Amino acid sequence: MSTLEVVGLRKSFGGLLATADVSFSVAAHSLTALIGPNGAGKTTLFNLITNLFAADAGTVTFDGVALGGLSSSAIAKLGVIRTFQTARVFPGMTVLENVLAGRHRLLPHGLAAQLTWMPYARRAERALAQRALALLDLVGLADQADSPATQLPMGAQKLLEVIRALMAQPRLLLLDEPAAGLNDTETAELSALLRAIQACGVTIVVVEHNMSLVMGIADQIVVLEAGRMIATGTPAAIQCNPRVIEAYLGAEAA
Amino acid sequence: MTQFIQIIIGGIQQGSIYALLALGFSLVYRVTGVINLAQGAFCTLGALTAYSLETSVGLPPLLAALGAILATTALAAVAGRALFVPGLARLTNSNMLMMTAGLLTLFEGLVLVIWGSQPYAMPPFSGEKPWRVAGLLLPTQGVWVFGVTLAIIVALGWMLARTRLGQSLRACSENPTAARLMGVDVPRMQLFAFALAGAIGAAAGVVVAPAIALQFDTGRLLTISGFIAVAIGGIASFPGAIAGGLLLGLVGQLATAYVSSLFSNALALGLLLIVLVWRPSGLIRAKLARRSDVRDEARVWMHVSRLPSAMAWRGGGLLICLGLAAPFLLGQALLGALIITLILFIALIGQDVLMGYGGQISLGQAGFMAIGGYTAAYLATEHAWAPIAGVVAGMGLSVACAIVLAAVTLRLRGLYMALATLAFGLLIDSCAIGFDDITGGPSGMVGIPDFSVAGFAFATPMRMYFLVLALVVLIFVAVAGAMRSGFGRALQAIRTDPLAAAALGVNVVGCKMAAFALSATLASLAGSLYAFQFHFLSPDMVGTPRSLELVSMLVIGGEGTLIGPLLGAAVLTILPTVFQPLAIYKTLASGALLAGCSLYLPQGMFGLIVRLLPGQKRPIAA
Repeated sequence: MSTLEVVGLRKSFGGLLATADVSFSVAAHSLTALIGPNGAGKTTLFNLITNLFAADAGTVTFDGVALGGLSSSAIAKLGVIRTFQTARVFPGMTVLENVLAGRHRLLPHGLAAQLTWMPYARRAERALAQRALALLDLVGLADQADSPATQLPMGAQKLLEVIRALMAQPRLLLLDEPAAGLNDTETAELSALLRAIQACGVTIVVVEHNMSLVMGIADQIVVLEAGRMIATGTPAAIQCNPRVIEAYLGAEAA
Repeated sequence: MTQFIQIIIGGIQQGSIYALLALGFSLVYRVTGVINLAQGAFCTLGALTAYSLETSVGLPPLLAALGAILATTALAAVAGRALFVPGLARLTNSNMLMMTAGLLTLFEGLVLVIWGSQPYAMPPFSGEKPWRVAGLLLPTQGVWVFGVTLAIIVALGWMLARTRLGQSLRACSENPTAARLMGVDVPRMQLFAFALAGAIGAAAGVVVAPAIALQFDTGRLLTISGFIAVAIGGIASFPGAIAGGLLLGLVGQLATAYVSSLFSNALALGLLLIVLVWRPSGLIRAKLARRSDVRDEARVWMHVSRLPSAMAWRGGGLLICLGLAAPFLLGQALLGALIITLILFIALIGQDVLMGYGGQISLGQAGFMAIGGYTAAYLATEHAWAPIAGVVAGMGLSVACAIVLAAVTLRLRGLYMALATLAFGLLIDSCAIGFDDITGGPSGMVGIPDFSVAGFAFATPMRMYFLVLALVVLIFVAVAGAMRSGFGRALQAIRTDPLAAAALGVNVVGCKMAAFALSATLASLAGSLYAFQFHFLSPDMVGTPRSLELVSMLVIGGEGTLIGPLLGAAVLTILPTVFQPLAIYKTLASGALLAGCSLYLPQGMFGLIVRLLPGQKRPIAA
């Protein structure tokens, strides 16, 4: 049973073919890693999946729903939540407010209830804050809850963004280089966090350069090079795939 | 046919002026990325300085003109050095726009203090008699305007294309970071561009002065015309600026000749709105494509410092007690000023939701005040509606206008949105003056009854005060509730990063619309109360100057704090009442405060108070 189905996706920017006929599928509750050298088209693939750019050809379906043509917020409403390569915490908001903002699509109370201080709206806000603090505690940021989010170190901002995405209760979580800028301890924490998220029944696709992280947690790896998919398989199969070794280390090494 | 050619000649003369103004805008925009709303004020300053040098000092016209251009350029350089250029390094583009609004007000105030509020008429350079060429009348001043415009265009074009200085300026406009790395002194180039824009503005003012009546607030009108020209033509391109100016001049003259002078304004604004919507970057565009999944992070939004919750509750209680006691302690004049402060605060709460939380600049809030004020007053006066029904009708009409305006302008981002709201405000201004059957025209609407609910008339200042106070408390509490819940967070998220917000499922369009509608409702309510308070309403009470004043109050008080604008409104309303003889300095002070606060006190007075409170750690720039 597959959740995300990418078929024949193609995108070119001018003369540059950024994504060339990429097809793969992601099984429910699995963790898929997209790897490849710089410029391989990993982030472009994410942008195509979330319809930030319209694809030249090909389709993306999530649980049978075609994502092409949907707006970002409509895609988020389906439970497809992504993070960005450069941490995009909201400036001018505290760490806690950032996490709470992730919950926006699921708020039970509308503007009218907020304006009139309806008791259920206040209760929902309090419950939400509790939940957000619990999540922040998971990555050791709870004591920073009231500091401005942009003052966190880059690694912590990346973790904050993952937590914020988690608040949105994703069914499919797309993480763009979550380990970039993290130190070894933080990377270990992240890998534990990703496993825990996966155990909760969330399907994860992650773009990542950190091979030890990827090899440790991925169920499936998709390897891209210059926009083309050159291999797909389990970590063990990928590690000894000659084309992958060639792409990473050059032809002589193969 | 002769008549038609005559109109075309008039259009070209008018268009040359706009083109000169547009050129100044375009120059500053290209080098700094900021729309300098003070551009028109350079014209007024230049023209009036030339007038004084000629009449009081007795200089010959040419020397007086040169002196005026030099003096204005020097003033521009000082303002640029003290405020504009330092601001570029620290402020967001939208805050820079507000700073230039402050500069415009500051220069207007300066003119008001030096030259007073009476209009000035200057003699044409070469006599009143027009030239006669092949049966056509050529106004000599028109020839001067056209000639000077042409000379400036040629000189500027040569400088940019051929000189080293021009090369540096172009480098700054293409890529400031790379220019800096290549050894270009970017702040100096920015200052140079700003001062040069001042010189162009002054030159334009000097040649155009004989063709128009000049007074302290002419600068604002010139800014607006020049801006419309540049927005139509394409702000990032010089040919666009010139083409836009000429087009606007021709359209204006043709409309005046064949339709009516009343509609030439409305037509120009309509043209602007059409261009903004159909082709936001102007008819001639010169713009680089940007990747949408990467955020520009040159200037980051400040983190707003807030009071700790316990202190906020206590402070709120104290304020309410003060508010209840105030009418028994204050005299009539001060009570009146306090009522006005509170009424404006209602509009400011809405403006803060839109600007402080949502990051959408609106320079047309007074347009909604006008809709609310005139609707309620007209229905109550002419049709004997219950005042409250009129107020509700006004709010309904305002929301309808807000939704249409939002739907039309939602495609626009950042500054263009701000400019569309400015155009909207101006359109409402000209409607308020034009539809004199309903609004009483420029002289205003009289005989507006007392506000009353179910037969109880709020006839005394005391009653009106408590009515307004109750409304303020109610609205403040409600809006504060929304701002500290999901809606406030969604707005703040959209403000800096609409894309990431949308990726989390925030309905960006819906939230912006809601904020816009909310702010329009509150402005409309404030406008209605304003009319009932004064029993009189005229276009200058709820016109574009009022919109700019609201922006000043918001920035001075502190954006994104909800309560801060109360301080701003109090300072700009109560101080001039207390110090009556200083009232002439009000415009000057409000401009200086706006420009100064946006640079040195980005969190306004509220931020300052929070910082000075014991036990507060210094807020750190995000």
